Amino acid sequence: MGRKKHKKNKKEKNEVNLKEKLTEVLELPKEIVLNVPKLTIMGNTDIMIENYKGIVEYEENRVRINTAIGIIKITGSKLTIREITSEDIMVIGDIISLEFLR
Amino acid sequence: MLILRLWNYIRGYVIIIVKGYFLEKFINICTRRQILLWDIKVRGSGVMTLKISIKGFKMLRPIAKKTNCSVRILRKKGLPFVFSRYRRRKAFVAGAVLFVFLLYVLTSFIWSVEITGNENIETAVIEQKLAENGVKAGKLKYNIDTDRVANSMMLAIDQLRWISITIKGTKAKIQVAERVLPPELVPMDQPCNIVARRDGVISSIVVKEGYAAVKPGDTVIKGQMLVSGSIPIKGEEERKRLVHAIATVEARTWYEESCEVKTKITEKKRTGNVLEHKSIELFTKRIKLFPKKIEFDEYDKIETEKRISLGGDLVLPFAIVTERFYESTEVEKELSLEEAKQLAADTAYKKALEKIPDGAKIVKPIANFKEDENGNLTAHVIIECLEEIGIEEKIGGE
Repeated sequence: MGRKKHKKNKKEKNEVNLKEKLTEVLELPKEIVLNVPKLTIMGNTDIMIENYKGIVEYEENRVRINTAIGIIKITGSKLTIREITSEDIMVIGDIISLEFLR
Repeated sequence: MLILRLWNYIRGYVIIIVKGYFLEKFINICTRRQILLWDIKVRGSGVMTLKISIKGFKMLRPIAKKTNCSVRILRKKGLPFVFSRYRRRKAFVAGAVLFVFLLYVLTSFIWSVEITGNENIETAVIEQKLAENGVKAGKLKYNIDTDRVANSMMLAIDQLRWISITIKGTKAKIQVAERVLPPELVPMDQPCNIVARRDGVISSIVVKEGYAAVKPGDTVIKGQMLVSGSIPIKGEEERKRLVHAIATVEARTWYEESCEVKTKITEKKRTGNVLEHKSIELFTKRIKLFPKKIEFDEYDKIETEKRISLGGDLVLPFAIVTERFYESTEVEKELSLEEAKQLAADTAYKKALEKIPDGAKIVKPIANFKEDENGNLTAHVIIECLEEIGIEEKIGGE
């Protein structure tokens, strides 16, 4: 069983590598092909995350968002979610820091 | 983002307050079920407000149960709520619909006809012919074929040179140009005489064709033959050669007018008392508002009409008519003899001027004053003119 799983993991990794290479060669948008979040930050007030998975924590001065590459942590003050759909989330407020937690 | 906000307003949304421990879970489930949320704000621990579409709000109950949150509506916004508020007020909605409908109906009629450009043709004549062709106040404007009307107008009125009919809003604008009718001439191939158009003393006569019957200095009366078109042939007494007479006959003519010299004149003066009557004109009916009795012995009545229109061309069939009555009294005024004479001479001169036809040259005006047996002075004004008096007249009986 364990062996099989290992094999599968390896296969997946290979697939990812192949995909990554292919997208680079073909210049395809990475966030779509590789399921990687796309972040758009405007100044220190607006941040838009496309292709996210879900909210882990939401408070006035801390927002944590789950994505395919791990958790993105936004700290700041007066943070509000301007808009949220199943694909993207827009957080506005005074952003102090942005962290990527693995 | 303005369009998005407008769209949300049209679709309608509710602002809700959510209380619970797992607010993140609540948001996640909402997004997974394709419910759009926006403007999520945290109000202390475990409390948040957010905006949600009406459709999304209806799907919220099971999610709230699942996450153990309580949901309460803070405010409803958007057009659907506005409409639902008015749904019960049927008369109001009916009135609004009726208003739009009536506005449309009323603006599809012609309510005023404006005629410009006519000088000699009377406006009433044009109006009457237009009415015969279906262009008048109260007619449906969609039924009017302006080209066809213009054509039949051209046939109906001889003096028209050109006519344009445009319907702008509720106003029919008619522009006309008049034809200058040529004087009635005898055709060149027909023999004619030249006769005097009015009394005068011949000052010059130039004959190009025909036989002059008068010479300069002769006094002629209206209708007298000036140049004959029948020329006697030498040797043959009985037969005459008939020609189309051509000549320029200039004569001195006089135009006379008189006016009584009055040293006492009565002038109308307004006392300053004014009475106002207002009435509303609907279509062609006039309805008086608050009628009052007029207690003035003598008054001037001035009527002003204010048509209600939308943007100049869209004239509605309503008007407010204001009648102002100015009380007036007659005041006698004493003039000096010189002033009175001058005034009388001026009036007489103006009256005489009106009679002088175009093309006549004024040589000199003479004014004199006569006193009759009762001692009344009269101003006589004689204007001497130089004018062409010959007109063609067919030779009859031949």
